[in-house]
Amino acid sequence: MAKGWPNWQRWLPGVGKPWHLREQLLSLWAELISSRLLALMQKEVRQILRNKQLLFLLIFPPTIQLLLYGFALNPEVKYLDLGVVDYAQTMTSRELVASLTNNQVFIGNPQSSNQAALGEQVRRGEIAAGIVIPPDWQRQLQRGETAAVQVLIDGVNANTAGIANGYINQIIRVFSRNLEPPAPPAPIQPQVHFLYNPGLVSSWFFVPGMIGVVLTLTSSLVSSSTLVREKDTGTLEQLLMTPASAGEILLAKIIPLFILLMGDVLLALLVAALVFSVPLRGSVLLFLVLSGLYIFVGIGVGMMLATIARNQQQVVLISFFVNMPLIQLSGAIAPVESMPLVIRYLSWLNPLRHYITIVRSLLLRGVGLGVLWPHVLALLVFVILLLSISIYRFRRQLS
Amino acid sequence: MQRTFAQCRKELAQFRRDRLTVALALILPLATLLIFGYAIRLESKHIPLAIQDWDQSWLSRAYIERLFATNQFVPVRRSESDDAIAPIDRGHAKATVVIPPDFSRRVAKHLPSPVQVLIDGSDVNNARVIRNSIQATTYYFMQINHLLPGSERVVAQVRLWFNPGRRESLFIVPGVYAVVLAVFPALLAAIAMVREKEQATILQVYASDLKPIEWVLGKGLAYFLVGQLESGLVLTGAVVFFGLRLVGDPTPFLVGNTVFISASVLFGLWIGSRASNQGAAVQAVALVSFLTALLLSGFIYPISNIPFPLSLISWVVPARYFMEITRDAFVRGTGWAGVWPAELALIGLALLFLRAVLLATQRMQLKD
Repeated sequence: MAKGWPNWQRWLPGVGKPWHLREQLLSLWAELISSRLLALMQKEVRQILRNKQLLFLLIFPPTIQLLLYGFALNPEVKYLDLGVVDYAQTMTSRELVASLTNNQVFIGNPQSSNQAALGEQVRRGEIAAGIVIPPDWQRQLQRGETAAVQVLIDGVNANTAGIANGYINQIIRVFSRNLEPPAPPAPIQPQVHFLYNPGLVSSWFFVPGMIGVVLTLTSSLVSSSTLVREKDTGTLEQLLMTPASAGEILLAKIIPLFILLMGDVLLALLVAALVFSVPLRGSVLLFLVLSGLYIFVGIGVGMMLATIARNQQQVVLISFFVNMPLIQLSGAIAPVESMPLVIRYLSWLNPLRHYITIVRSLLLRGVGLGVLWPHVLALLVFVILLLSISIYRFRRQLS
Repeated sequence: MQRTFAQCRKELAQFRRDRLTVALALILPLATLLIFGYAIRLESKHIPLAIQDWDQSWLSRAYIERLFATNQFVPVRRSESDDAIAPIDRGHAKATVVIPPDFSRRVAKHLPSPVQVLIDGSDVNNARVIRNSIQATTYYFMQINHLLPGSERVVAQVRLWFNPGRRESLFIVPGVYAVVLAVFPALLAAIAMVREKEQATILQVYASDLKPIEWVLGKGLAYFLVGQLESGLVLTGAVVFFGLRLVGDPTPFLVGNTVFISASVLFGLWIGSRASNQGAAVQAVALVSFLTALLLSGFIYPISNIPFPLSLISWVVPARYFMEITRDAFVRGTGWAGVWPAELALIGLALLFLRAVLLATQRMQLKD
């Protein structure tokens, strides 16, 4: 392998005899121009630019996915239909209904006339929740007793139901306290502050995750398909007949891909910043460097797939098989903390999980390497492992 | 009719011969079910919570104990630094509760005492869950310690229907079932269709006296049967691993299942007849079927949260209607009365896809 490489040592200062700067630059330039690496890279760049499908893959799916996930996934509990059956029909009961619906969480749905109809509506999923105010409500209140209202919640969507339940209880609690005019404030008052995302904008959670997903998908797919195509069409043998070594061939493939994929990183960052106004609180440079590191993980995965698959169709199928668990177990959609314990531990072996943690921390929290170093270290290990295994396998297959 | 069945038999023989595809066709759906079914949990159960207790009185300790007694939080060991935000910055804690030094004194005097709750807002959904939980627990704590002035006048008696334990798998797994059946039968059908074009075996079909509709139906029937096999497999997995049970009348589910698999296969055939090669077909199906079934169907979050122009697309996503049917069949159990509009919509979409496939095959013939 060392035979085919340009003599890197000569460019290092302090090695060999002292040089003049101009001479040094000239020889470097000459070395670059004549180097096989550059020629091979030129060939790769031309091949990529001619391949319209590849360019399409680099731009279109990532943008669409970022936009779709950013806009469509929204855990907000808002505008739920609340059916109301008010048997009491007094001023207080109407006030209670008003305080339940005077917010963006619930919309009053007065269509149900009695409790049975309300129950049927909840059963069919036409309304998300229903409230029944019993006829003797007012009398109970006047006698100073505790008056109950019945609340039915459609529990099919466990998450929404839980949050809706919390809202209803809280609204009724406040209403109940306000019924007694001289009530002093409650002694313990939790004052809640949401850090990093005070408005709880959902896209700020999903878009950084999707940056990781999109980079994984694109880099593994693009790198595997460029490698497999050479295998498929038999042009790899032609390349091997040239004096270039396997290392040079691979390096010449990786460098242009890396530059293109860095373009994807910028594209994703641009979409995140311009469309979703996701903040970038950490260092941009660190973000770019670590994203570059992660691209090597993606390229490593792609090369690995290319050494396993025999043709393009197999690559696509196998990459589906590999990427799906990588993505689902990374915390891009559902937070890792919510997963079962075994999966949570397994997710440490998932490079995407580390990268998504890095992206979220850099964009939203604005922390630096001091906090992120374990994840960076993990990524480094993945890069070294993936690249060395796949280069080894690739070279063995070639010779 | 006979020619349709012959075409179907030929297609199945071809499918059976390709071992890798058979394996992937049967393993991938099950794997998807397991991964999605176990990994997609929206609410965290063991949320790391850091406490800064500057009061150190029995009251503050009782309050902290009550917070952890909900079993929703696990304590985070305090680090040496006294910064309340540091554990959240490092990702060790999802929230910090800061109890001020004069907490118990102020409470004893019935003065309002603020307790600062800092919540990591980067996970939007769990931020809400944590806030609700801490507020409800605080209220409960005040109630049992008789700290609330006056008596409670109105209480809500809440009943959660269908899913009283709020098991998230009851919501997610019927959705995964629909996602799986939206993607894999379509994927196989698209590959089968585009392969004929790629390998030019389609010329033999043109040369025969097979009519386009017979050809399409024969192919469709074959992959419909494969889809049924996949659905049986995934259903068994859902019953065994996640304890799903059919509740109520099974007929709407059976009808919906049949129509949905047909729609999925027809959609795959349509993509396959438009795509130029297998890679592009797989990409297109993966992108369109998978993303729409995942994002525009109400699989994870309520469909009403999808903003306006995107919400229009969700009307033509079959998975959206099928999820209504599966969730009804496995959780709600209202039967035909609740799901007939969804069934009609599915049938309409299946017919639409059939029309699209026939048009596309006609166009294929004209060109060659």
